[in-house]
Amino acid sequence: MKKIHLQEIDGNSTGYLGLLAFLGAFVLAALGSTYYMEHNGHWVTGMNNQIVWGMPHVFAVFLIVAASGALNVASIASVFNKKIYKPLAPLSTLLALALLLGGLMVLVLDLGRPDRLVVAMTYYNFKSIFAWNIILYNGFFLIVGIYAWTNLDRTMKKYSRYAGFVAFIWRLALTTGTGSIFGFLVARSGYDMALMAPMFIIMSFSFGLAIYLLVLMAAYNWTGRPLGDVIIMRLRKLLGVFVAAVLYFVIVYHLTNLYATEHHGYEAFILLGANGGGTYSSIFWVGQILIGSLLPLAMIYAPGVANDRKTLAAACVLIIIGGLAQMYTIIIGGQAYPMEMFPGMEVLESTFADGQVAQYSASLPEIMLGLGGMAVAMIAVAIGIKVLGFLPQSLDDAIADPHHKAE
Amino acid sequence: MTQLALVIDLNVCVGCSACVTSCKEWNTSGPAGFMSDDNPYQAEPTGTFFNRVQTYEVGCFPNTETIHFPKSCLHCEDAPCVPVCPTGASYKREEDGIVLVDYDKCIGCKYCSWACPYGAREFDEHQKVMKKCTLCVDRIYDESLPESERKPACVLSCPTSARLFGDVEDPESEVSVAIREEGGYPLMPEWGTKPSNHYLPRRKQHLHIHEDELIRADNPLKKEERQPSGPVDAPTLDDSTSW
Repeated sequence: MKKIHLQEIDGNSTGYLGLLAFLGAFVLAALGSTYYMEHNGHWVTGMNNQIVWGMPHVFAVFLIVAASGALNVASIASVFNKKIYKPLAPLSTLLALALLLGGLMVLVLDLGRPDRLVVAMTYYNFKSIFAWNIILYNGFFLIVGIYAWTNLDRTMKKYSRYAGFVAFIWRLALTTGTGSIFGFLVARSGYDMALMAPMFIIMSFSFGLAIYLLVLMAAYNWTGRPLGDVIIMRLRKLLGVFVAAVLYFVIVYHLTNLYATEHHGYEAFILLGANGGGTYSSIFWVGQILIGSLLPLAMIYAPGVANDRKTLAAACVLIIIGGLAQMYTIIIGGQAYPMEMFPGMEVLESTFADGQVAQYSASLPEIMLGLGGMAVAMIAVAIGIKVLGFLPQSLDDAIADPHHKAE
Repeated sequence: MTQLALVIDLNVCVGCSACVTSCKEWNTSGPAGFMSDDNPYQAEPTGTFFNRVQTYEVGCFPNTETIHFPKSCLHCEDAPCVPVCPTGASYKREEDGIVLVDYDKCIGCKYCSWACPYGAREFDEHQKVMKKCTLCVDRIYDESLPESERKPACVLSCPTSARLFGDVEDPESEVSVAIREEGGYPLMPEWGTKPSNHYLPRRKQHLHIHEDELIRADNPLKKEERQPSGPVDAPTLDDSTSW
């Protein structure tokens, strides 16, 4: 294996500036949306007292989960000492930090009082999983930041393995915390399950790697740097395993719920669209299962499907769409299903929505805020690879693959 | 230990919503206010209420009855909204068990709303913090008010006295006696949250009148052996026959 050279991109081309302008437009739209929602109050969104977390949280939680997953490639290099992944590690750390930044931006701007961020940072109720998440997010920035430093600075290289190990443990803790925000909720039928934490971890592997692959291929394609097939094909197979694993966890989650009679109502709501759950069952079956799981699996594994990068990129896009659909089903579907206020009674009509399916349709400002978070993450990556050498000059097979044999 | 709470008698609640309006009136001008009220007379009104009366028709026609069900924060002894609050803005007072929100510490993350199994939390659109019933904490200790008025606004305004207020931990209090003797029950005790507010059940009143109660045994007309004024089943002024 030859020496890897990390080098900044030029970042002066029209294409690069155009990309920044394109993403910047989304950020501006997100800020405008935030101003509109904050100025008028959240009644201008689709949110109400039943659906308190709407579309912005779907994006925010997706990005936060994907952030810890994006670090996966670096973890394979440092913790499991796989040489072929080592040149990929710097971009992995950058993408992880960028996605978390985007996710947290959406999360904070969707708070009732984003101006009280300092209160959230200074008052901690250690019984709250939400407070633990604030600590985990801040710690992630610090630890992954140090880890990125050890990857970029040759004098710090000797600490890279240790930093990578701490970052790996921390990212598992972070996604456990994010999953437990839902897993610890006893009041609502769709949650209250320990499986949420490991399911979120496996979701992070899948979403994070899909975004990583897209960014990697785009960065090398647009900068004209060589990117060998060995790395892409390895990551492709890994992605397939992760998508299948997410599907497995989803099946176990629903089977567990189906076994308990008390959750039958919720399962009928999500799986069959009973009692007004039609939107959620469509999003589940079409968005999460078909688009997010089965199609990508077929595109990765099915014999006869073109084994090229375009198909892989399309599969990655589908996984991201499916991931957002999964978040929507979990977050919005779980809130829309009514709480069991009158056990044993069927509520046909209610004056203030008690015992009834909550109505929600995402408003444009909410969607723009979420997309703005994605744009912020991508801008951070674009600027990151311009100012620091996160990208190897070449990931040609001859350079990247330790087992490469010259033909 | 003191645990202040409400006991709501579903048997006498007539669903007039006097408790709703008096609650809003008192609290919107107090430290818990203001309480948003947008588009109140339009198709989609929104606003913050600490107390709402829901009206249900229970049963299958024709055997139905209407139940008015006022619901506010139940001030649970083991309130699930308290441990989930990231900043500790949601807290339960040691001295009287009232669950309150510190508006200056609430960041509006709405996670408590997820955790409350009773849906008692309301997000204020304008102050952008989470709100809920305070049991009129600014009123019940106000010594400038006559002692009889040191009660939550909803309790004072209820025309049928369907709402009682007191310490449910004191076995001799009005609320404890009502719970004990009238079959008071908490909402969904299976959650283990030990709601402090209790409801008194609907109690059907059946009037049993025996036929001989309708005939005056000591009718003075009998002594005087005067003839009855009309047949037994003829309507009379006082619903009893003259026999």
